[in-house]
Amino acid sequence: MTGLAWLSVAEGSQLLRSRKLSPVEWTKALLERIAAVDPAYNAFLTVTADRALAQAKVAEAEIAAGDWRGPMHGVPYAAKDIFDIEGMATTCHSKIRIDHRAAADAFVIRKLHEAGAVLLGKLALHEFATGGPAFDLPWPPARNPWNRDLHPGGSSSGSGAALAAGLAPAALGTDTGGSVRNPATCCGIVGLKPTYGAISLGGVFPLTYSLDHVGPMTRDVESNAILLQALAGYDASDPTMTQRPMADCLKGMKSGLKGMKIGVIEHFYTKDAPADPDQVRGIESAIEILKKLGADVCTISVSPLSLWTDCNRTIHASEAYAIHESDLQERPEDFAMLTRNRIFPGAFVTAAKYIKAQQLRRALCNEMAEATRGLDAVITLSSLLLPCQIDDTALVLKTYDQQCRLVFNVTGTPCISVPTGLSKSGMPLAMQIAGHAFDEPTVYRVAHAYCEAAGTVITADPKTQPRLVPMPKTAAAE
Amino acid sequence: MSSSKNALDIIKPLAELHGLQRALEKFPDGVKAAAERGLRPVGAMPAGNSPITQPAHIFNPDQFERGK
Repeated sequence: MTGLAWLSVAEGSQLLRSRKLSPVEWTKALLERIAAVDPAYNAFLTVTADRALAQAKVAEAEIAAGDWRGPMHGVPYAAKDIFDIEGMATTCHSKIRIDHRAAADAFVIRKLHEAGAVLLGKLALHEFATGGPAFDLPWPPARNPWNRDLHPGGSSSGSGAALAAGLAPAALGTDTGGSVRNPATCCGIVGLKPTYGAISLGGVFPLTYSLDHVGPMTRDVESNAILLQALAGYDASDPTMTQRPMADCLKGMKSGLKGMKIGVIEHFYTKDAPADPDQVRGIESAIEILKKLGADVCTISVSPLSLWTDCNRTIHASEAYAIHESDLQERPEDFAMLTRNRIFPGAFVTAAKYIKAQQLRRALCNEMAEATRGLDAVITLSSLLLPCQIDDTALVLKTYDQQCRLVFNVTGTPCISVPTGLSKSGMPLAMQIAGHAFDEPTVYRVAHAYCEAAGTVITADPKTQPRLVPMPKTAAAE
Repeated sequence: MSSSKNALDIIKPLAELHGLQRALEKFPDGVKAAAERGLRPVGAMPAGNSPITQPAHIFNPDQFERGK
């Protein structure tokens, strides 16, 4: 059972195709592990055991009959509870949505269903994909498998926790200001925010209208690319989508880095904001590895991090408030305190300020395009600090914007978080690798080469995994 | 906003105008802090850019194409 828990999508897919592993066996092992381990980590809001076993049996029969649909066929996954699944509530981890029932599957859920993937359940998040880990909601917040007293990152917190705890080999998240890459960073896994408009947002509850992205989350880079490819496809019902097909992200992934030009946005973490020394050491050692692999690494400069933050947060608050206005007026007490505080400012943003933020966004995009001309990819830190105590609300609020992720929601360009090792206190460290629009293949190529050389991802080797603990007695009351 | 009371006096009619009476009643500190954040001006444009001539953002993936 333990071995199957840590099987990656890439490894498992090969075993399934060659019929050395049964989808039912893999699914059952994970369902048993979820039942045993998840009470301590709260990654899942709903486990869809019956559905999972039924889907696994269908996959098993199809593969046995030689009808292999592709690399996600028979592979278990879980989805942040912000994706519609027909007949189920899309709660967004909120009391406000408890009675909701989705009329149809989200586009990406349908894509995974068509690919033959097996849905294990729906995962915890920060309420409506914003705010932070809240204790004033119907469900407890997801916990970090590396230390359950610390923040697992968010808002796709359950996705990060499920992967790091070996409860699923793949998960779906969403990312408006870093919500795929933050839990990827805090939980030591791999999370990609693709190009804006590359993956459908159809059937995904919005946080904003112009910064949201759906993103794949896995424990390794190759699996991430496999999952992304399964999600891709044009959805005419989503007005944000481009018709450009996703490039093949697996072809060329293992071509190495010789001759590649990589820029480092160093001033974000050395000048603009204080960063934890362990995070800085992590990216500095990663730069040395990239150089050893043959990359030409140089420093580049853009506007200070605070300006990117200002731009993202103004748009975020305004658009999120537009979505939640009536509930915030009529039943504000039903939101978590952290959620309310994050969205309320949108009520007071003037139209002129919103337009100025959009103008600023355009100027910042021009600046990034200019700064990255001639480069293959850009790297910078993901989190500036290490995860804080999960129940220290003041610290959660204070550290919310101590990050470099929202920059790439402003630009809309693809960006991945990959682990760079562990801090002295044993918590995961990470960096981001960003690329040009629709150049996910290059982002994956750099990420894959780095992770292979650095050996920083979670694998079946127990030395790479978090040491999980049983549920403490005091947690039973959560 | 020199004092908490003054700030609330200023924010109250604004919050009421936005239909947030209930929120203001239940969470006065949260609404006050939100108003202060929301009303704060956005950062200045980077050098060489003017809000007079700069239209609002439209995502343009071609801008980030390799080699352009």
